[in-house]
Amino acid sequence: MSPTIDPSMIWDVCPRRRVVHRRRFLQVAGGTSLAVRSLGLAPTIAAGADQLRRQGKACILLWMQGGPSQFETWDPKPGHDNGGETKAISTDVPGIRIADNLPHLAKQASRLCVLRSLTSKEASHPRATFLMRTGYLPLASVKFPALGSHVAYHLGDRDFDLPVFVRIGRAGPASAKGGFLGVDYDPFVMTSATRKPDNTDAGIPAERYRRRVKLAESLESAFAEHGGGPLVGSHRKIYRKASQMVLSQRMTAFDVEQEPSSVRDQYGTGETASACLLARRLVEVGVPFVEISVGNWDTHADNFSLTKRLCEQIDRPVAALLEDLDQRGMLDRTLIVWAGEFGRTPRINGRGGRDHYPRAYSAVLAGCGVRGGQVIGATDAGGVDITEQPIPVPDFFRTIYRALGIDADHEYVSNIGRPITVADKGSAVESVFSG
Amino acid sequence: MNRMCRLCVLAGYSLLAASCLAGEPLSPAQVAEQIDRSLVAELGHPWQPAADETTMLRRVFLDLVGQPPTPDDILAYLADDDPARLEQTIERLLNDPAFGINWARYWRDVILMRKSKQRAFVVEPALEEFLSEAFNENRDWRRIASAFITAEGDVQLNGATAIIMAQGGKPEDTVAEISRIFCGVQIQCAQCHDHPTDRWTREQFHQLAAFFPRVAVRPGNRNGERTFVVHVTDREFRFRRRPPNNNRFRGTLEHRMPDLEHPEQPGKVMEPVFFVNAQSVPLGTLDAQRRESLARWLTGEENPWFARAFVNRMWSELIGHGFYEPVDDIGPEREAKAPKTLDLLARAFVDSGHDVKWLFRTIMATRTYRQRSRAPADGQDCSPAVMSPQRLRADQLLNSLNVALDTSIDELAVPQRRGFGRRLNSVRRLFRVQFEYDPSDPRHEIEGSISQALSMMNSNLATRLLRAAPGSPLAAILAANARDEDAIDEVYLRTLSRFPTAGDVRRSLAYIEQSSSRAEAYEDLQWALVNSTEFLFRR
Repeated sequence: MSPTIDPSMIWDVCPRRRVVHRRRFLQVAGGTSLAVRSLGLAPTIAAGADQLRRQGKACILLWMQGGPSQFETWDPKPGHDNGGETKAISTDVPGIRIADNLPHLAKQASRLCVLRSLTSKEASHPRATFLMRTGYLPLASVKFPALGSHVAYHLGDRDFDLPVFVRIGRAGPASAKGGFLGVDYDPFVMTSATRKPDNTDAGIPAERYRRRVKLAESLESAFAEHGGGPLVGSHRKIYRKASQMVLSQRMTAFDVEQEPSSVRDQYGTGETASACLLARRLVEVGVPFVEISVGNWDTHADNFSLTKRLCEQIDRPVAALLEDLDQRGMLDRTLIVWAGEFGRTPRINGRGGRDHYPRAYSAVLAGCGVRGGQVIGATDAGGVDITEQPIPVPDFFRTIYRALGIDADHEYVSNIGRPITVADKGSAVESVFSG
Repeated sequence: MNRMCRLCVLAGYSLLAASCLAGEPLSPAQVAEQIDRSLVAELGHPWQPAADETTMLRRVFLDLVGQPPTPDDILAYLADDDPARLEQTIERLLNDPAFGINWARYWRDVILMRKSKQRAFVVEPALEEFLSEAFNENRDWRRIASAFITAEGDVQLNGATAIIMAQGGKPEDTVAEISRIFCGVQIQCAQCHDHPTDRWTREQFHQLAAFFPRVAVRPGNRNGERTFVVHVTDREFRFRRRPPNNNRFRGTLEHRMPDLEHPEQPGKVMEPVFFVNAQSVPLGTLDAQRRESLARWLTGEENPWFARAFVNRMWSELIGHGFYEPVDDIGPEREAKAPKTLDLLARAFVDSGHDVKWLFRTIMATRTYRQRSRAPADGQDCSPAVMSPQRLRADQLLNSLNVALDTSIDELAVPQRRGFGRRLNSVRRLFRVQFEYDPSDPRHEIEGSISQALSMMNSNLATRLLRAAPGSPLAAILAANARDEDAIDEVYLRTLSRFPTAGDVRRSLAYIEQSSSRAEAYEDLQWALVNSTEFLFRR
């Protein structure tokens, strides 16, 4: 962009722009009024930790993006046409059989509560993802928060210097964020578990960094006083959080390399293994919600070999995670949730694939008071319909909140002023806890 | 068509009749005055005092050409004693090629932020080119909208295919987007069921989809490179097998509305009917005629929502809050703030011949636009009469960094990628991924994130550009300005397009005094300003 008048005409003394002394130039050219006032900035955030936060509960969501096949994981149908080539294997719990793709997890069945009767009507990725990530169907007017945002809101410590909601891996579309709970509860997204989070290294000594951040805050007053107040307040919150993180001693939690090799070997290799190990390290230092995204499970073609490979990615790491949490005494306060947006069709299509199927699909819960070694709900011989205890999505969410001790009927005032409860109407699945 | 609908169409006609009586088209300044008066009458908001001159200059620069003024621009403006210097600047910027590029990028985001097919990003360059040319030539909004509705061909050659490409050619999703973008009406809510509170029915939605069954997006090949083509079929074709992954590579002759009770059945054949005015074309009509008819009716004066949607959206962009919010969910069931003012402006826009530059001139001539901005607290008291600071879109932010750091980030090399669309990889694109937001969302709901803050504070790019190493722009400022007051002025002008306040100077000087070296102090000052709220917003 160049002005219509030639600048060199005005300051013939100094043709190069950087050499001009602006204010002196203006005094010559007629001047401008620079009225100035100075004022202090907005108050700080109220701190407070209630009883719930002190319990140290946490949740790890294993998100199977794309819609994992229940037939090839938790609800195999060997012997039926719909079952395809997948076989069932016995587990460490008599009577419970799962797909042969998950041999390590089969040995963890005593810790798992397998739900075989989730059901919804949503068969498109964005809507179903939104539903299974928030517990609500999308509405144009309400910004529903993600599961992780709710959990972080209720369980996270406000003075915590790491993010309260960490999302590892590529999240699919409609993954939801903090919504009406605000930026404090947006996920902190890491594309890979094997690298330190992007841009958390300041590259200058901590002392200079602190001074620099202070300078930045002190220079906000002109805008804060002149119409930008609320914006400066919200910007400052984000920047405080970000700089806290850069300076935090706890950042080493992000470095899975620091884990002894004996532990790392348990988890195996690969991105999901690192992610599961990182999730444990983060929960250990106090992060209340970690989400690991694995996928793509959208196996419209070549379902059997693709699902087999995906199962290999999760089988050993998730089994190791359960074992590890239990050994450290963390499993009884850490809820593990395994879920995707929907299941896949009983019928195997012409390309050896399975399509979207929300009518009957599986999910798994473990830890945090969930009674393991049980299967809840059942589907018929061909996996077409639910024959026992259908679990609508709101019930599934209420069960998760129950395990975490979060009141699902707690009301927030949403962005449109309408009260919204943590979970949609429904009831928790009691048998998950009692049996 | 139900009765309410007829009433609505009649209302549209009567508005038209009123405008015909008005005679000679009014000048932007005259319309602006009417708008201001009407807005006060409807909302009774007192205006804030007029914004100061540097704020105003940065505002019109960012709004029109998507970049802040350089220090040269600012000084030239301040030295100009012509009372019409603001109007002249607006005129100059409207004729700058950057105007078209800025708004092309805005509409690129409107269209592609809602893409349901990821691969639709390949349409970006063609879309930007099509739109920047259209805006720079000042093609009327009717013609631009019609081009999107009737587009076909290689998506990398014809940018107007973007809406169809973004939705993978699916008729339902395509018409839902066309309705949302051009009419602001979210008729897709009626896709599955009649919406309890909305007037449009499921049947009307599928009648709209029936303008598009013959259109599909299919893979193509141009000079050995993969591409996609919006393809039209006007003759019967039987699929030998379904294309993989639910793709739809070829259209069908007619659209069918699925039977909700029996989804396995083919569904009912739908006649193409436009829901606003109930005009229709018979079954069997060729694709070109279907879509041209829809374009004519949708952009025509019998559809009052076409002009209202555009005017409302531009008002929201320039003022911070539209008459309706969100801007893409308006319509007869929604309540507008100051509806008479919106109609006044929409009518004048129609009278101007849907002249896009005219609309900018008019809104920018209002007192509402020229007042001081004030951010509403927590989204409270948002009003089309209150000027709010606007968060910069990713492209505006990158352009601001270019000016602030006297550099051209676009020219930096990026790591090579492999695969489809690799040539589109650029620093600007990477930057956008981090900072973009959906411009159709209400602006006060869009917030920053920790990872945005981290990349602004600590990324390699930021660190490299902020260094006062020998030969760097920052080092040149220091060399040329021995007095710190002058150097601080320079840094402020480049970064925030204004002079520092006395408080700013005092704090900066105190900081410089405490620092171990001058270069380090200025790196920190530059860092602090680039990371300030003010830098991220258009005041």
